[in-house]
Amino acid sequence: MQAFAHLAAAFVLSAALSGVLSPAAAQQPVVLQWQTANLTESQYEPVWKATIAEFEAANPGVRIEPVLVARKDHWTKFVAAAQAKKAPCIVTVDLTTAAYNGYLLPLDKYFNAEPADFRAAWSPDMLSASKWKGQLYGLPIWGGTYAEIYNGDLVAKAGLDPARPPRNWAEYLAWSNKLTRNDQWATAVLGGKTDTTTRVLLMWIWSNGGEAFNADMTEATFAKNPRSLEAIKFYLGLVKEGVAAPAPTTTNYLEQTNLFAQQKIATMRNAYWSIAKVTADNPALKGKIFVTPGPANVPNAPTLATVAASSIAAGCPNPEAAWKFIKFDASRKWSIERAKVANWMPARNDLADDPAVRADPLLAQFVQIGNHARSYPLPSPIWAEIAANDIVDAVQKALLAPERTEEIFRELDTRLTRKLRDV
Amino acid sequence: MTTTQGRTTPWQRRRRVGYAFIAPVFLFLCAVVVVPLLHALWTSLHRVRGLNATFVGLQNYARVLADDAFWHSLAVSLEFTGLCVALHMILGLALALLLHELRFARTALRIAFLTPWMLAPAVGATIWLWLLEPQFGVVNYLLQAAGLLSAPLAWLGTPGLAFASVVTVDVWRGMPFVMLLMLAGLQTIPREQYEAAAMDGALAWQRFRHVTLPNLRYLLVVSSTLDIINTIRHYDIIGVMTAGGPAGATEVLPVLLYNTAFRGNRFGEAAAIGVLLLLIVLAFSIFHIRLTKPEQGGAAA
Amino acid sequence: MSRRAQPADALRWAATLGALAIVVFPLYWMLNTSLKPATEIFLSPPTFASRNWSLDAYATVLNQRPVGRYFLNSLVVALGTTVLSVTLAAFAAYGFTRFFPRGATPFIVFLLFTKMLPETLLIVPYFQLMSDLGLLDTYAALILAYSSFALPFSVWMLIGFFRSIPRDIDEAAMIDGASYLQAFVRVILPLARPGLVAVALFTFLIAWNSYVWALVLTTDSSMYVLSVGIANMVGEYRVQWNELMAAAVIAALPVMVLYSLLERHLVDAITSGAVKG
Repeated sequence: MQAFAHLAAAFVLSAALSGVLSPAAAQQPVVLQWQTANLTESQYEPVWKATIAEFEAANPGVRIEPVLVARKDHWTKFVAAAQAKKAPCIVTVDLTTAAYNGYLLPLDKYFNAEPADFRAAWSPDMLSASKWKGQLYGLPIWGGTYAEIYNGDLVAKAGLDPARPPRNWAEYLAWSNKLTRNDQWATAVLGGKTDTTTRVLLMWIWSNGGEAFNADMTEATFAKNPRSLEAIKFYLGLVKEGVAAPAPTTTNYLEQTNLFAQQKIATMRNAYWSIAKVTADNPALKGKIFVTPGPANVPNAPTLATVAASSIAAGCPNPEAAWKFIKFDASRKWSIERAKVANWMPARNDLADDPAVRADPLLAQFVQIGNHARSYPLPSPIWAEIAANDIVDAVQKALLAPERTEEIFRELDTRLTRKLRDV
Repeated sequence: MTTTQGRTTPWQRRRRVGYAFIAPVFLFLCAVVVVPLLHALWTSLHRVRGLNATFVGLQNYARVLADDAFWHSLAVSLEFTGLCVALHMILGLALALLLHELRFARTALRIAFLTPWMLAPAVGATIWLWLLEPQFGVVNYLLQAAGLLSAPLAWLGTPGLAFASVVTVDVWRGMPFVMLLMLAGLQTIPREQYEAAAMDGALAWQRFRHVTLPNLRYLLVVSSTLDIINTIRHYDIIGVMTAGGPAGATEVLPVLLYNTAFRGNRFGEAAAIGVLLLLIVLAFSIFHIRLTKPEQGGAAA
Repeated sequence: MSRRAQPADALRWAATLGALAIVVFPLYWMLNTSLKPATEIFLSPPTFASRNWSLDAYATVLNQRPVGRYFLNSLVVALGTTVLSVTLAAFAAYGFTRFFPRGATPFIVFLLFTKMLPETLLIVPYFQLMSDLGLLDTYAALILAYSSFALPFSVWMLIGFFRSIPRDIDEAAMIDGASYLQAFVRVILPLARPGLVAVALFTFLIAWNSYVWALVLTTDSSMYVLSVGIANMVGEYRVQWNELMAAAVIAALPVMVLYSLLERHLVDAITSGAVKG
């Protein structure tokens, strides 16, 4: 592309235009761009704005420039920039995929130089979710523990006891039947085209003692593992049972939370942040919501906890300054602030006893449920694609033709196994 | 004074001046279109992993052509394009015929009908997303209120309905412009032809068949061919409404290309899909150029 | 045209208004939703005209994000694209119709070819190009990108249009002592005005409505155009339909006003330049 740049640069016009029209370059010594998928979420905006303001006040030589981008275009924008080695310095992206493609800088050097009590704030499990080939590519900042979230009013109306929520599938189904009535359903099955569909599916599989992949992620076992297949059939079968809202193939996080906020469904499988969303949509739900671990057929079934880590882009000219901001963003204060205001869960595990956390019963409960959670995304460089495309496609197909569920997931196993070995 | 025969005109002597007039556009397009295209061709011959690329010859093409997803996508693309273009033309012409003979309010109506076309496709698609919402959308409400539906439909939730929905939105957005073209075309048909036909006792249908249609033939061919080229490349509406789902029912080639590149990070394969798509569009275009003989001028979008 | 009987006329009106209702309904719904308070959005049955209509959603949108700035950016980019590509296109169309009347075919084939590229394929190369030129986060990057999409069509349409202007006219001007450029600027351009206006309208629309290029080529939020600013309002986590629709109205309004005012030229241009076979 270099030769071409010279040719194109010959365009006097473009040079003139840029000279006249481009804004004056920033005068600050160091400008760090910061791009994550959630800066545009309104519940998070007040927190990150305050974080930046305080950081800039404490570090006059550094300016943080937030890159606002809609979630669905986040990765596209990042990749376009990363391919030209112009990616924003501080990013939260699909970590394994980005590391595998060489878009990120290993952070071990910076992390290991930190004092021991700082490093101890992250559990080894949490850190391993941010590693690729043994190297650390991101510092876990926030995440979301998934749980079953109930609308207490609808539960009481159905004559059910909120103090004794369903613990296994049979009880869950019994509750579901009671929670379903005219124009209202017990829950929603997610089948829309984002990886949230996959997150919930994985939890159901784990809740039956099943596995979706073998230990080193070289083989998919959605249908091969009978417990997994049983879980898939049960979960997707909730639609056929009539206890889940219609139109599952277009139900995503957004549709699910709309249904919950409008009291069309009584329960949803979701993370803490969904509560901020539904109570903003429908303030009448405040104080009416309770959460439990998802129903499970095996003891100690893990739930799922997403991990969002801050990384430094390869080729960032100021990695030290970037690391400084990441550390600042991961500090106690902002971790708690994010949890309180935006319901983004802290990724560090030394905050459970913090008074601010204990004062919020829902948050405390999520922290407790999260004690037994598996990290998400799963460690594969092609995870983002698998989770948002292949698995979702299979779920959609199975929802449209339930009788073919086994065949569809067998095909998925074959397809995924081939892809995983191809990497 | 006009050009004298047998003598070279000032124009022919000054070709060089002509080059000066056309050079800017030519160079500009070379720079901003041809060079990125070469980049894409180069990419299609490499296995791209992040910033590293390995030459693999035609392997990406082989992979793409061996994948059912490509052929499925091609079929969906052809169905989508064929249906959309046919409906654009039929409904656009029908609307133009209606408007053409109205005695008043024609301009106002023409502008009103053109409004969907003025919206950005992605914005138009977002409005429809809201209209078609299964639980809270107004379309389900109206159909139920009118007694046409007993239960709400998941418009984007089943393959057939989702396909019909994205076609509807594309037709809604694309048809008005064809209407405008056809209105312009109708204005150029000489009145005498209709009067002669009327004197021969031709009925309305016969006048349409023997006067209107032959006069609009060129315009219909040009605009439908260009419409095919535009529709088969179109991403926005489907990208916003279904992202190719459910279960691949609306995964047209541009969506497959986007998903391969920006969800799958397989830029080599994506570029190969892009080049194949380009070849398909090229075939249509050659057909188009043959039909329209562009050296005689004429254009439509 | 022969006289029509009254019933046929009534039928024609009924069909026209019926079609109009269907075509315009989504736009009405956009407006209706944008005027509703948040509490009324999910009401069932939905309200078609509400006593609670207000401009609150617009106020929120305008306060929450620098929409004024986005608007200005969109305007600069769209106008810049229009000026650049109409100028270049007029030169080229003049050059072809006057100097190479028979040599236009290969060029038109080339133009068509540039129109065929799938946009997605060009995202990465474009970014790289603009980054190499140091044009990221500038109006110039967007103006150049959009011009490249608008130009093929503009040139093509203007070639048709310039052909309809007899060559005798500018030749006569030159016999009177005008230079090539003077003949072009003083004689031909005024005659071509309807065609130029039409092409300008198309170009403006393309630039105003484009999304993907603005998405990747700008990162500084003070350089965002309206389409990107609006897209950023759609969180996966929270969509405020009334605010989103208000933003869509804000983005659509200028184009609609522009087209309503200049639509006459569009039809004239198509009629005179494009329709004849």
